[in-house]
Amino acid sequence: MTADAVNSSSLDRAQVLDLVREQLAEILEKSPADIGEDVPFADLGADSLALIELVEALEENLATHVAGFHIDDEDLENLLSVRDAVDYVSAKLQVA
Amino acid sequence: MTLPIALDAMGGDFAPSEIIAGARRAVDELGLSVILVGVPDLMGDPLGLEVVACTEVITMDDDPAGSVRKKKDSSLVRAAELVRDQKASAMVSAGNTGATMASALLRMGRLPGVVRPCIATPIPNPGRTPTVLVDAGANAECTPEMLVQFAQMASAFVEAHYGVKSPSVGLLSIGEESSKGTPLVKETHQLLAAEPGLNFVGNVEGRDLIPSRVDVVVTDGFTGNVALKTLEGALKFIFATVLGAVATNDATKAAGDVLFEYLLPIASQLTPENQGGAMLLGLNGICVISHGSSNATAIMNALRVASEMDRDGVVEKMRLTIRPDQG
Repeated sequence: MTADAVNSSSLDRAQVLDLVREQLAEILEKSPADIGEDVPFADLGADSLALIELVEALEENLATHVAGFHIDDEDLENLLSVRDAVDYVSAKLQVA
Repeated sequence: MTLPIALDAMGGDFAPSEIIAGARRAVDELGLSVILVGVPDLMGDPLGLEVVACTEVITMDDDPAGSVRKKKDSSLVRAAELVRDQKASAMVSAGNTGATMASALLRMGRLPGVVRPCIATPIPNPGRTPTVLVDAGANAECTPEMLVQFAQMASAFVEAHYGVKSPSVGLLSIGEESSKGTPLVKETHQLLAAEPGLNFVGNVEGRDLIPSRVDVVVTDGFTGNVALKTLEGALKFIFATVLGAVATNDATKAAGDVLFEYLLPIASQLTPENQGGAMLLGLNGICVISHGSSNATAIMNALRVASEMDRDGVVEKMRLTIRPDQG
């Protein structure tokens, strides 16, 4: 799913999952198909810097969908897998 | 018109005065164009240099990745943004190494295909071009694929910067035999041997760092940093011991007067402040990391290296090395 497609439609959980997988795959130089939803970030080879890259990429992609979309730094320590990130982002989008 | 180099005026043990003094020397003695990035109220006299003002400073104690998010108006982040926005040709900092790397990575981005940037440190090799050690500390844990990329990027750097054709690459291990080393080293050995375009000559050992028979030494960041600090400490000890011995009595001082004429040029080559710091390879931009204890001479030389990397088109050459199909 491209960033443009994300921006032009309302997002369901599946779309958020695609976005998170796509962005993380680009950061880790892997195929999105290799990014398991329940595999811990650490097991995927994503260190703290990679997670910051992911957070900043998600904020940039979703800011045009929800003005000022922001992931709170205090919540980062609870995001341990793709599922955690998708659940978190989905919840924020629904509240916005 | 040449873009200026963005210098983090707030980073380093002797910032901002020594940093600014180094920038002034780079302008006056080397003809470079430098802009300072810093907090005006903390910087003091910028010695006639242009200043890009910011309001925050990432300290040595700050968490590297988190600080880039928390201190968006810091000198490090702003310097990286100047390169990203093509208002500066390169960035230089003597500050928090992890935060420098995070700022550069998060703002400039990685070259396509690069898994992780690495720190390349030139080790002086009197009589020949320096040997480049990668990774010197950016990635404590590595995969074999990362080490192969480090070798490719360092080779491209050596070829572009030192003019060495087909740089020789050695893999740091505990023996020359391909059977020696950790599982990471053994697997990397196989990949390097099979990699086309790399002049892999086999394993090298710690004693081969200086003097070295290879142009590039590849290892993981943890081992590389330990090796580098060991070398620095040993050289410092030797210098201090020789100087102490020479100062013993009149006879040794007289002998020193004769010897120093021959030893000082070699010592100058080995002195850290003359090396120009370490380079971050794999970024979509130039970032030079100067030692935290950098004085004005070290900063001037770090700026010199940044300028040379820009002149030599190092980033573009690395881009083509990692993704030749994009040429």
